[in-house]
Amino acid sequence: MNARVLDRTLIYGSAILLAVWVLIPFYIIAVSAFTPQARIFDFPKPLLPTAFSTDTMQFFVEARGVVPSVINSLLVALATIAFGLTLGTPAGYALARFHFRGREAFQVIVLATKMFPIAILSIPLAVTFLQLGLYDNLLAVALVHTAMALPFIILVTGGVFVAVSHELEEAAQTLGCTRWGAFLRVALPLALPGLAAAAIFTFVISWNEVFAATILTLRTRTLPALVLAGLGTSPLGFKFAGGLFMAMPAIVFIFLIRRYLMNLWGSR
Amino acid sequence: MKMRGARAFALAAAAAILVTACSTTGPSAGGGGTDQGKPFVFASTQFTPVLEQENVRKKILATYQGASVDFITDQEPVILNRIAAEAKAGGQGQTGLAGLENGQFSGLAAEGYFEDLAKLADKHKDKKIPQDMLTLGKLGGSAQVYIPWMQATYFMVANKKALQYLPSGADVNALSYKQLIEWAKNITEKTGQRRYGFPLGAGTTPGLIHRLIQGYFYPSYTGGLVTTFKNADAVAMWNDLKELWKYSNPQSTTYANLQEPMQAEEVWLGLDHAARLIEVLKAKPDDFIAFPAPAGPKGRYYMSVVIGLAIPKTTPNRAGSEALIDHLLKPETQLITLRENSFFPVVDVKLPDDLGKGLKLEADAVAKQANSKDARVVPLPVGLGAKGNEFNNALVNTFVRIVLKNEPIQTVLDEQAPLVQKAITDANAKCWGPDGTSSGPCQVK
Repeated sequence: MNARVLDRTLIYGSAILLAVWVLIPFYIIAVSAFTPQARIFDFPKPLLPTAFSTDTMQFFVEARGVVPSVINSLLVALATIAFGLTLGTPAGYALARFHFRGREAFQVIVLATKMFPIAILSIPLAVTFLQLGLYDNLLAVALVHTAMALPFIILVTGGVFVAVSHELEEAAQTLGCTRWGAFLRVALPLALPGLAAAAIFTFVISWNEVFAATILTLRTRTLPALVLAGLGTSPLGFKFAGGLFMAMPAIVFIFLIRRYLMNLWGSR
Repeated sequence: MKMRGARAFALAAAAAILVTACSTTGPSAGGGGTDQGKPFVFASTQFTPVLEQENVRKKILATYQGASVDFITDQEPVILNRIAAEAKAGGQGQTGLAGLENGQFSGLAAEGYFEDLAKLADKHKDKKIPQDMLTLGKLGGSAQVYIPWMQATYFMVANKKALQYLPSGADVNALSYKQLIEWAKNITEKTGQRRYGFPLGAGTTPGLIHRLIQGYFYPSYTGGLVTTFKNADAVAMWNDLKELWKYSNPQSTTYANLQEPMQAEEVWLGLDHAARLIEVLKAKPDDFIAFPAPAGPKGRYYMSVVIGLAIPKTTPNRAGSEALIDHLLKPETQLITLRENSFFPVVDVKLPDDLGKGLKLEADAVAKQANSKDARVVPLPVGLGAKGNEFNNALVNTFVRIVLKNEPIQTVLDEQAPLVQKAITDANAKCWGPDGTSSGPCQVK
């Protein structure tokens, strides 16, 4: 009995410690984002907010292009997830289920694309998209983000389908399902938590990506491309406001998806 | 339940694809838009801080009446690569005007990506832009690559609390580096705090230490930069900088600018770019003073930063690009630029009396610096183009090794000299400013 209590205390204690460790920076950023400019340099920083101001946050929301860029970022991230999962899931499934010739080589090649620094591609990429007429278009950014996320998606989904028992699919087929139907009705639902994880991962890759987004767009910018270059040299108050502004949508999105993920795990 | 989730997900994904594929370029806000003509982008490496960006859009471009303009700013490689990409793709690009530092034009200009603006320069003769600035805009060739837009410099700012520790006999307006070190030392000894500041930030918060090395320390001590990189005067200079570092806030390695540590009172005293000091002067004009950079044995060298405007050959709206230059060179616009973003006019215009206390402090310091008896002006490095960063890094690393890591001066200079030389030789850059002139690439002696 005592050992169990101790066990629980340890688990919950370390869970709380971890949560606090992650949350404290967010808390400080949030408090500072709503601190008046003149008080931002106070040191030591008070743990409870002493004065409240929405000046810097308001500036951010009203600055040209910030709100559209949040929408752009979300659209690009969702499109990247859609493209990435559409292309990556079959590849992952194939890697998990079939032993075809060149399977190993294929796996290495998929990973090898991560070896090239995208910086050396900047001018050729921009020129190509200009010539394709896709320059300054969200589709272009989503395509590049898909290319960047695909290796991870293929690896993650591959791992997921390995864990889904092949026999279940075969059982479904003996009960009248087609090959495709068995995949759709049996393998896919079982793999959903893993796919959701891949989706979160893809979202984070796309949301955080600055380089391709800056190179490929001028006016139709994503949020990081719009504000990141300016934040480094901005007054401290704006750094906090910008930091909070950039973190919030991602936190909300991941929070939503995470609940969905937990539900699925819980109901399994 | 599971299937419903999957269906919702698929639907959302499909919707996202549709919306993304259908969305074209976003709404182009920005100045004016009353006149006809294709909208275009005004791309610049200046005014990256968010506040300054918004000032350009909402104030500087507010009275502009031409075709719709998007002001877009980013770091140097991003903007330069974008202009290069549009030129390589051919046809019509989106960028109609480029606002770059003098030293950032050379690579793109060498490829012939910009229009010759000689006629436009002629048209603005009555604005009396200084002739040497216009000549700078030709980058050593015959075509007018850019038209000067605005200028800035670096100067000193001190918290008034520091004044009581000023060495006796020293005048802040005619300070020498020796006196500055003495001053910083006094502060450290009397208050127990290291209160001098260097803009040494790196990575995502880059400081401008390389400019101080290029335009202030080296020329003031050695009368040169490249040619005198490792001579005896240079060794004396590095010894002094090491001494100054003893009284400098060690947090300096994180400073992108000095205005923030000055507002937080981590730093009382320092030399930095006008745009990176102005906030503290504006916020607390009664608590701070601004004054000229110190003088070394060879004089009071200071750096003049000229920002120019150039029109890419791929501009979607040539007339619009020229109209925007006309607007930016108007005396009223030049004064708005000074008021909002602290860059000084290049055209002949009288500064108004109601500038505001902070800007007044800046304007006085700049004028005193330029009019000092021993003042000598230095431009940003010329002709380095894409090798600019390599050159800057070689100098910053020299600072880091000697001053921060305490490595032996002569050894470091001997080891860094080939790196400095390589950047210059690769760029085929002739001597500029403090080093005089040369026929081939400038040589470290």
